[in-house]
Amino acid sequence: MKRRQFLTGAAGAALISTLPTGAIRAWAQSASGVITFGQSTAVLTLDPAHGAFTGYPGGYEASLLLFDRLLDFDADMKIVPQLAESFAMSEDLKSCELKLRAGVTFHDGTPCDAAAIKFNIERMMNKDINTTNRPLWNPIAGADIVDDKTLVIRTSAPFAQLPNTLAHGSGAIVSPAAIQKSGEAGFAQNPVGAGPYMVEAFNAGQELKLKAFDGYWGDKPGASGVVFKFIAEPATRINAITTGAVDVIDSVPVQLVGQLGGNADVEVVRKPGLRPIGLAINLTRPALADVKVRKALNLAVPVATIAEKVFFGYAKAPDSPLAFDAIGHKTVGETVFDQAQAKSLLAEAGYKAGSDGILEKDGKKLTLSLYVPEGLFPGDVAVAEIVAASLKQVGVDAQITKIEKGAYWDHLRQDKANLAWDLGMFGFNPSNASGTYHLASLFKSNADDNTKPDVWNIGRYRNAEVDALLEKADSAPEEAARMDALGKAQELVWADAPYLWLQINENVSAVRKPVSGVTVMPIVFTNLRAARKA
Amino acid sequence: MIGFLARRFATIPLVVLGVVTILFIIFKSVPGDEAAFVAGATATQSEIEAVRVQLGLDRPLVEQYARHVSGLVVGDFGYSTTFRGNPLPHIISRLPATLALAAAAIGLTILIGIPAGVVAAAYRNRLPDYLISLSVVGLLAIPNFWLGMLLIAWLSVDLGLLPSFGASGPASLVIPTLALAARLIALVARMTRGVVIEELRKDYVRTARAKGLSKGLALRRHVLRNVMIPTVTVIGLQAGYLLGGSVVVERLCAWPGIGDLLLTAVSVRDYTLVQGIVMIFVVSFLVINIAVEVLYRFVNPRLRYA
Repeated sequence: MKRRQFLTGAAGAALISTLPTGAIRAWAQSASGVITFGQSTAVLTLDPAHGAFTGYPGGYEASLLLFDRLLDFDADMKIVPQLAESFAMSEDLKSCELKLRAGVTFHDGTPCDAAAIKFNIERMMNKDINTTNRPLWNPIAGADIVDDKTLVIRTSAPFAQLPNTLAHGSGAIVSPAAIQKSGEAGFAQNPVGAGPYMVEAFNAGQELKLKAFDGYWGDKPGASGVVFKFIAEPATRINAITTGAVDVIDSVPVQLVGQLGGNADVEVVRKPGLRPIGLAINLTRPALADVKVRKALNLAVPVATIAEKVFFGYAKAPDSPLAFDAIGHKTVGETVFDQAQAKSLLAEAGYKAGSDGILEKDGKKLTLSLYVPEGLFPGDVAVAEIVAASLKQVGVDAQITKIEKGAYWDHLRQDKANLAWDLGMFGFNPSNASGTYHLASLFKSNADDNTKPDVWNIGRYRNAEVDALLEKADSAPEEAARMDALGKAQELVWADAPYLWLQINENVSAVRKPVSGVTVMPIVFTNLRAARKA
Repeated sequence: MIGFLARRFATIPLVVLGVVTILFIIFKSVPGDEAAFVAGATATQSEIEAVRVQLGLDRPLVEQYARHVSGLVVGDFGYSTTFRGNPLPHIISRLPATLALAAAAIGLTILIGIPAGVVAAAYRNRLPDYLISLSVVGLLAIPNFWLGMLLIAWLSVDLGLLPSFGASGPASLVIPTLALAARLIALVARMTRGVVIEELRKDYVRTARAKGLSKGLALRRHVLRNVMIPTVTVIGLQAGYLLGGSVVVERLCAWPGIGDLLLTAVSVRDYTLVQGIVMIFVVSFLVINIAVEVLYRFVNPRLRYA
């Protein structure tokens, strides 16, 4: 029996030792001066090239602290200087002269001078090294060093959005010496930048520990360190901020925001996104080529109600093809819910109700195939179901096809002959905040409508006037003229209704006292660059 | 014993090859273009083609398969877009957390499940039996992610006793272990109860009681030994499934194990990484099964001479 008793005792002791033995909360709580950020996506790689920062947006959020860029976006997506003290686009929009800040060094001590910037620009131009964000980098033809502090970036054609590219996350400036040291393949796990924080420890997919960089050229970082922790499960993130184990969380599901409402220590931070969700309309279908039908579809769906009821007010109805904070956004209309008018428009277009209540014309029923992904856009399937039910009320039969999200893009971007959908849910996120880039990506005529779309003009929209305006918006020398052209293009696109416009969702994060200064950028990112912890 | 082990381990490569082949076929036939995904949503067709060549996805399927298998042999799991290279070291680095969780869950099962089953059998159709059997039904019915959420809400948020997520010390292990072990505890308790009741009816127990042993002593000295045989089998079989169950629990508790990595790999569509992790799961499962057989021979002497 002795042996047995011993074993029992040992097992009991082992069990007890795993149980809490006092100040366990202290473990969970983050150290003073260190901000802990519970992210919904893991930080996997930290290199602007080779597929850019992953996962999205977690990697970009970390890159905002680790790297400086030549230019930056402020909270309203205006372009402001960062490593460049000033910049000037040339008259012909084919080059940009940048005056660099003096005395900037990378975390490894390498000077961040014109030669380092040139190295970075050329690295990002290289298609073999930088495989993503190509539309932002393709126009760039080269970089010339004028002197230690002056650099000229050339483009092969007029490119008014060059500053947007430099301010974009992929414009992060990396230490050439670190690339040399870690190699192109190794840099993503051993990143060195010139930002306010430097890497202390990086365990890809789990945790990234940053500490304040003493040699930072700008304002002293507001915290002694920032820890990014990957917490995929929304309920777990909310629990973590409730217990104080983390100071900041992102991507709070709108249906769970209420759980944070009663907590005086937690502040909810929200910002409308840059990605308007809508249903792309397949204009190659004869019925949908009629603008009256497209307008009727828009009138039939209660978008404001969707924003209010499905997203608890954390979404807005759009007033333009662009999101509110896209650069160059102009209010060009409003979302109206008027099913009576929708019905009369459909009647004008020649549709009559059949015996089953579904409209028909020349013996053909107005039956539309609505493609929707599962879990790619906020509340995607729920929204599609409301849309289908609303369309039914005006006599349009929308059949929902749910597509696994991995295969969804393939279904949307198809040759004309293989387009199976009439309505396809889509939302474009212009990562450089440029309205011109957004509108051109979605509505510039395709070179050939029969093959796969050049970018995302999946519905085969074609309007020569819009093409001309977008051209002007990209290349007119005067900014006012560019914005004016972009505004007109928005009006035309809105009037043509190539989409059934739906909601613009807000990005929702939460911050716990005493941390302050956390901002949520329209482009999904929760930005801790200016965050402080007393 | 050595011959037995050698024979068992010799089957592993064969099974693994079968699994590799099936996985390869599955991953080649899932919808979605891997190259297009790697290249990103804004990539043009020519950029996608460049990525395809870079990843070797333009080669004939047979050649891709041969490269895949020969790579696995030397420990090269292929190009993971997540880690920009061979994912194997990253997968291995996650393994200890998952194994710790599984070991803790099995430990807890042995400590709670077996005694609970024995007690229920000894007090058959009396109050302790009813309480235990009711708990068993409850634990079997509760999905582990929901139990995990409740435990976090109660132990961590309300009482502040335990960390709500992550791996920041031994205390972090408690909630995921409870969530993961609950179902297994219930299974083992129920099975143990059944086996003990059956054994208690057998002749050798009657003999033991007839020669004057108390019921408790007969139970401990004679019945338990025989109960161990089916119990070890069930725990062993379930240990393999714990790896699968840990995917959900690890995600819920942000436990940095291999299951959590699997979900990350799926969400970023890193096929190479998913394949690698499934491979590791399969190999672990096979090794666990062999370990169970070895253990089986220890608790059941009859098999040693078979």
